[in-house]
Amino acid sequence: MKKEIFEPFNSSDNNFEQCVKCTICTVYCPVLEVNPDYPGPKQSGPDGERLRLKDPNFFDESLKLCLNCKRCEVACPHGVKIGDIIQLARIKYSKKKPKVRDMILANTDIVGTMASTFAPIVNPIVALKPVRLIMDGVLKIDHHRIFPKYAGMRFETWYRRYAASKQNDFKKHVSYFHGCYVNYNFPKQGKDLIKIMNAAGYGVHLLEKEKCCGVALISNNLIKQATKQARHNVEAFKKSIVDKNMPVISTSSTCIFTIRDEYPHLLGVKNDEIRDKSELATRFLFRLIDSGKLKLVFKKDYRKRIAYHTPCHMEKLGWSIYSTALLKMIPGIDFVSLESRCCGIAGTYGFKKENYKTSQGVGKPLFDQIESSDVDFVATDCETCKWQIEMSTAKKVEHPISILAEALDVEATVKLWQK
Amino acid sequence: MKFDNIIIGGGLSGLTCGIKLAEQGKKCAIVSSGQSAIHFFSGSFDLLGKLNGQEVKNPLEAIKTLPDAHPYQRVGIKNIARLAVEAPQLLDRAGLQFSGKSDQNHFVLTPMGIMKPTWLTIDDFTRFEQNDVFPWKKAVILNFSGFLDFHTLFVQDGLKKYDVDVQIKNFAMKEFEAIRRNPSEMRSTNIAKVFDQGEDVLNEFAQKVNQLSEGFEVVILPAVFGLFTKNVVTDLKSMINKPLVLIPAIPPSVPGIRSQILLRKRFEELGGTYFLGDIVEEGTFKNNRLVAVQTNNHGNIKLEADQFVLASGSFYSKGIVATRDKLYEPILGLDIDGDIDSEKWLDEKFFNDQPYMHYGVKTDSGFRALKNGKPIENLFAAGSVLGGANALKEGSGAGISLLTSLHVAEQILK
Amino acid sequence: MNKNISKEYDVIIIGGGVTGAGTARDCAMRGLSVLLVERHDFATGATGRNHGLLHSGARYAVTDHESAAECIKENMILRRIANHCVEENDGLFITLPEDDIAFQSQFVDACKTAGIGTEILDPDFARRIEPSVNPDLIGAVKVPDGSVDPFRLTMSNALDARIHGAVLLTQHEVKGIVKEQDRAIGVELFNHETKQNVNYYGKIIVNAGGIWGHHIAKLAGVNINMFPAKGSLLIFGHRVNKMVINRCRKPSNADILVPGDTICLIGTTSERIPYDQIDNMFVSRQDVDVLIREGVKLSPTLATTRILRAYAGVRPLVAADNDPSGRSISRGIVLLDHQERDGLSGFITITGGKLMTYRLMAEEATDLICKKLAVDKQCETAEKSLPGAEKSEHPLSIATEKVYTGANISQKSAKDRHGTLAKNILNGDDYEDSLVCECEGVSIAEVKYAINELHVNNLIDLRRRTRVGMGTCQGELCACRAAGLLCESFEKPGKAKDDLANFLQERWKGMLPITWGEGINEIQFTSWIYEGIYGLKPDNN
Repeated sequence: MKKEIFEPFNSSDNNFEQCVKCTICTVYCPVLEVNPDYPGPKQSGPDGERLRLKDPNFFDESLKLCLNCKRCEVACPHGVKIGDIIQLARIKYSKKKPKVRDMILANTDIVGTMASTFAPIVNPIVALKPVRLIMDGVLKIDHHRIFPKYAGMRFETWYRRYAASKQNDFKKHVSYFHGCYVNYNFPKQGKDLIKIMNAAGYGVHLLEKEKCCGVALISNNLIKQATKQARHNVEAFKKSIVDKNMPVISTSSTCIFTIRDEYPHLLGVKNDEIRDKSELATRFLFRLIDSGKLKLVFKKDYRKRIAYHTPCHMEKLGWSIYSTALLKMIPGIDFVSLESRCCGIAGTYGFKKENYKTSQGVGKPLFDQIESSDVDFVATDCETCKWQIEMSTAKKVEHPISILAEALDVEATVKLWQK
Repeated sequence: MKFDNIIIGGGLSGLTCGIKLAEQGKKCAIVSSGQSAIHFFSGSFDLLGKLNGQEVKNPLEAIKTLPDAHPYQRVGIKNIARLAVEAPQLLDRAGLQFSGKSDQNHFVLTPMGIMKPTWLTIDDFTRFEQNDVFPWKKAVILNFSGFLDFHTLFVQDGLKKYDVDVQIKNFAMKEFEAIRRNPSEMRSTNIAKVFDQGEDVLNEFAQKVNQLSEGFEVVILPAVFGLFTKNVVTDLKSMINKPLVLIPAIPPSVPGIRSQILLRKRFEELGGTYFLGDIVEEGTFKNNRLVAVQTNNHGNIKLEADQFVLASGSFYSKGIVATRDKLYEPILGLDIDGDIDSEKWLDEKFFNDQPYMHYGVKTDSGFRALKNGKPIENLFAAGSVLGGANALKEGSGAGISLLTSLHVAEQILK
Repeated sequence: MNKNISKEYDVIIIGGGVTGAGTARDCAMRGLSVLLVERHDFATGATGRNHGLLHSGARYAVTDHESAAECIKENMILRRIANHCVEENDGLFITLPEDDIAFQSQFVDACKTAGIGTEILDPDFARRIEPSVNPDLIGAVKVPDGSVDPFRLTMSNALDARIHGAVLLTQHEVKGIVKEQDRAIGVELFNHETKQNVNYYGKIIVNAGGIWGHHIAKLAGVNINMFPAKGSLLIFGHRVNKMVINRCRKPSNADILVPGDTICLIGTTSERIPYDQIDNMFVSRQDVDVLIREGVKLSPTLATTRILRAYAGVRPLVAADNDPSGRSISRGIVLLDHQERDGLSGFITITGGKLMTYRLMAEEATDLICKKLAVDKQCETAEKSLPGAEKSEHPLSIATEKVYTGANISQKSAKDRHGTLAKNILNGDDYEDSLVCECEGVSIAEVKYAINELHVNNLIDLRRRTRVGMGTCQGELCACRAAGLLCESFEKPGKAKDDLANFLQERWKGMLPITWGEGINEIQFTSWIYEGIYGLKPDNN
């Protein structure tokens, strides 16, 4: 019994025209709340778009104050893609050239490659106060910011040396899009993922040369390069999903959101063939458990009080329920819900000197909640949220996959499916 | 993903229904395609304000004379009386204090300065027991400089007929300068956010109000207090040395958003799952039952439940969609109670009884939604997605939402 | 405004359309004392109910050489004297596979004869410069079409007339022509504001009432047979096209798509209607269907673009034959000297013509008036710029480079609407930069300027001066803000509330034929706000 579909007769295809000016988006914009220099999602988005179609000179450079958190889109009762409209306007109309600083921040993989190679030198240097002051003064990277440390050995190197060979022992297989953060800064998260997937009976493989998803390039208006990388990634995903029938999972909510939802809208890179089979590891695991195909066994002595922070892109995806459902399966977890608020970092946004105040102002309601929550640590799916929360509160942040890996009784779990 | 009950629509009916079910231990989920129409809440819930153009004094009595097709008749007069007592109690448990009687309307002051009959009013606002008496003789209306969404002159004009001496004063405070300088953002919600941030602003404001209202018996202000922080209104009232009458501003409404937040919070604290910004794309029907729905965010992880409630709202919320010449229910393809002939949808006078306002989803007498003429056993419709009444003309929108959803919840719990 | 009633004006002009305003300007510039009377507001008749097309004349080139030649001449004049009312967008005449491509060369030749510059474009090139055009086109000719805002144009003429001493009375309806033997000596007026009758006297009475001129002539005891033909148009929610798009064929229904300000519009249909229906214009569902069906042929994206409004105007053509479509009638100017024609002196009628030739009509009428009054002064309206269109010594700079200029939108919008007169709006008071209308970028300052300077009596007038309520929400958010400001100026809150209700009804009238989809969502929301929350009633608030 499929619902009847009617021939559209002058139904608007122009998403911004679906706005009925209810103004609800302005209530949930975290930027507007702390920085009134931003014209707000309604004015920047649907209202502004109409004016820009009249005359491109209506474009206002202040649109770069948008965090691209998409909370306006989640709130909109009429499905207006307000965030996309704003990002597209920046791509189309901005006359500002990206600064050297923006290029450094945006090229997470190139910078990462260099930095992790020289990690023992780079880490202490960027941590030095004088260096941070120079970065602040010359590059306009705010001196309050601490760069995430670069790991000595990249995840990809570790994988090839220590993990790759075992993966073919499994009957079922997935590919893993690890993203820049796991590769250069925090390989442990990738290792944790492999531990869980292996325990669940899945071999984990890397894509054929993944490239940075490009989210930072997009937000810094380096569109040509972002599009190139997007095309490359879609091809790499296809090789796994279409050619080998291996779904792609990731541990970064931002990377997967960008690949699924920003590639087609913002970069015009089609992803129809891969979208449905590209997802977060927590969603992949949840599906297996929900459909009775997998059972995880947890250690009896694991006891932790954990708060989950919903990153903006998880709010938009609606997927935080998978991560929280998995965490709640761990018997020893005392789970604390946080009201979903933006942390303010928005990738490279918060690193820029001009945005520091806004960034911290946006995050304050979240930080206050965390500080008063009395938890052992905070769980979240986004790496930049992790940095921001760790920089701005006294709490440590863990990825749900790492928490699961820590709490998982690998042997008992494996036994269940090996029988 | 399996739940006991899934409610499509996260507005007043969806949340009321979800809270009632969750209070009885049901595992519920609400799928909401965005923030709901509670954001335009005036501060009062109407049960029945007008009948045939005449103001209603006793809604419970007047309801008896409504046509059979009216949702209230389908709930049943006895049930209405009972549920009308239950509704404010449920709201109260969510932290929303409402007062009023279902057998006697009271009045509230609208932004046009008119006394409007209503049923329940949130404690931010002032209840007037009579529409021909304004209890004070000297009133001052205060407004924030640059705030365009509160029309002091209209209120002043409306109060003239009560022989009230009304003065209007505008004032500025440095805390509001930043948003005022943004040409589009001096909105009620943004003013409320400033007050949300701390006691100091509220203190300073209250002092200013006391100063400006010296010599007056009552202060009238726009309802811009307490968006994310619940107790701002109570605090303010305790700091001002005379009665305070709040008046709604142009939506989005500050007390409305606070109500939405508190209702959702209550639902979630009871174990409910609220999916915001997700859209139900289609349903899986088996043997005249709806077994699962597929949403945009969750794709092939379908949401399953024993019973479903459709509380997706009217045209504004896209519960009902009109194309050039067809009306349809966009989520599950249910039958529509409305004119087939599109020429009959609209009246050429804006203020007339617009036929389209009466349209909704067809149901049987127990609010089971019809599809191809047959009721779906486990799918109920509640709230403004129902047809059979022009809630705007009657002043019955909130009543229909609250009471049909409580009634439907009872059907499910039976 | 209540000038000395016993005073005799040189000229009394009946009608606040563009012809009346243009004639008032011309007369005033030639030193005559002028009174202009209008029953509603400026540009409420046919002037404000057309395409707003700055015709190059190409449309008439094949069928009506004289009109075509007039058009291109006036087109060039308007670009000079009214640049703030004009958008120099250029136009395309496209040939679709169903059209005869042979017509193109006939068309180009006729344009050449009329003095209209043409350029035959390769279809590929046409698709590139106008991406919204029907991609199936097999031929395209570029012509110097453009867009003109008739409200601004009329108001600028009226303003200039006022600057030159003319007195302007809106809301004054002519109820009778005062006659002395065979001579018209004045007008009997009914003031809709005060509900009082008043007489004014003048040496020459000019009937510039457009289609209503038929009735006015009757009041004077003379007969002009007007040919009322209704033309319906649709306004789309945003600007789809950059250039005017026409069909390269004999003029027909719904074959012009004009971009104008934030929107674009398609028209028109043509239908003969009885004279008694001219105040009762409505657009039928059938009209809407024809407009969409034909519009989609010009630009396929119209099929999926939201429609904001539908409206209809009446062409003020003087009946000449019994052509049922009314299209083969010349849009030529009709200047009637009733002294010669009917033996009634002191009364002339200026009618026919079109928006494009209003200035020429005014010139011809004024020439006749001057002749009658024995005034020897040359017409200067083709050389002197209208207020707002002057070359400014200090061009208004709009800062777009700063991170946030705060008032970028309203300042730029004001400049687009009022030309150099925007200096009266940009007064640097940031309180007044706040937006009343968020869709169209209308600030408090602009509303106040319009109320103080531009003869605004109510919200509907304000809309014509500033575009308040002309955007996507059709007044949902801005109407009550604007009503609040009007109320502050006029201090009649009861009237302001009724005015708000009238405004909503007026907006609804144009939405009625096209209300579905987002339109019905939006109107339900508007009703909730105004009727539900506010408790607004249709009258007696």
